[in-house]
Amino acid sequence: MRSQIIRFGIQTTGDTKMIDITERVRQMVRDSGAQNGQALVMTLHTTTAITVNEGLPDLEDDIVEMLQELAPADRNYRHARFLHSDGQMAVNAPSHLRGALLGFQCAFPIEDGELVMGGRQTIYFVELDGPLYREALVQVMAT
Amino acid sequence: MIDFHTHPVQVADLFDDDPTLTRAVQDVFGLWMSPQPLRTYELHIEEAGADKAVAVPLDCTTAHGMTVVSNAQIARLMELTDRVIGFASVDPGQEGAADTLKRDVREYGLRGLKLDPALQQFDVADADRAFPVYQAAAELGIPLLIDCGLSWAPKGRAELARPLALEPAIHAFPELQIVISHFAWPWVDEAVALALKHRNVHLETSILNSGTPPESLRLALDRIGIDLLDRSLHAQVVFGSDYPRVDPKRVADGVRGLGLRPALERKVFNDNAVRLLRLEGTAA
Repeated sequence: MRSQIIRFGIQTTGDTKMIDITERVRQMVRDSGAQNGQALVMTLHTTTAITVNEGLPDLEDDIVEMLQELAPADRNYRHARFLHSDGQMAVNAPSHLRGALLGFQCAFPIEDGELVMGGRQTIYFVELDGPLYREALVQVMAT
Repeated sequence: MIDFHTHPVQVADLFDDDPTLTRAVQDVFGLWMSPQPLRTYELHIEEAGADKAVAVPLDCTTAHGMTVVSNAQIARLMELTDRVIGFASVDPGQEGAADTLKRDVREYGLRGLKLDPALQQFDVADADRAFPVYQAAAELGIPLLIDCGLSWAPKGRAELARPLALEPAIHAFPELQIVISHFAWPWVDEAVALALKHRNVHLETSILNSGTPPESLRLALDRIGIDLLDRSLHAQVVFGSDYPRVDPKRVADGVRGLGLRPALERKVFNDNAVRLLRLEGTAA
């Protein structure tokens, strides 16, 4: 079993965006030369998420709306203050909580050099506090 | 719509040409976030709903031996993006600061002057050092954006940034348009008093204390009464975010959440800045 880590960047363009990265991940797995094993897809940020769902615009909108209802912008959060270690106002608690709800990674099997996915499954990189240049990675653990 | 107050201290393109900028941004300005592509800066402006943003440098040569983005770098930024309205900064503690201001404004096409007495550590009422700079700005016909109130910069000294200390300069240069940033929080009353009396004194919206921008704005403006903005200060308030201390989208949301009359909101977001920057007739 061998491990490869492939890092990649995403320039997000708005506050909240569901970005389909399925083909990008598939291609990274192919390019890795891995045959059989597993691919972990992970974001390197706490105000973004990785999630899997059916790739339909209406569902994307429903997911965003659900997140905004569960972690609304105007609640009295503790994380609403100046963060001295950054030199910025840390007023993005909803973004963190929405990320916590979706999670930060997903994993798929690799079989004969291809990602094994359900026909309706789409891998999303979810921006929750954009616009920002973001980083994510795919770890391929395979033979 | 114009964001009247942004610091391009996270724009990676500027760091590429200046290895000392990281130290200035961290040690003097006090920001420890990774640089981002220029595109992110542009997108932040767009996400707030703005078309353009004032980008400010800061010359801290006397107090800290460095600049936190130079006038030349602002000029470079203006070449890279049409989203930016460039301001100049000079250090009143340096010989010939007024001449430097005149030269750079004319050479680079800069449209305003930025001073931060807390961080640059000068007396705003110093007739020998500060007044010649104000005089130069007045002669150039450019506005002065001056930081007042709490300075989040680690080396900033808020005692040098009390709004009332500006009164001698306001009296001496009635033609100089002065924009007090942050509503001078926590000295909002002083800043508002100056603006009520002097029509060349303006207030900028990036009130940053503890809490979200909507909360901070509401708390500060409820104290003075929001109606006062419509009645007496409608031509003297401009939207500014102080990016990257806080994201422009959040300050913009805070202003939108105040429930201002549409005509007043339009003045705050756009018309007052257009007039101060003399952008009438241009695509601002």
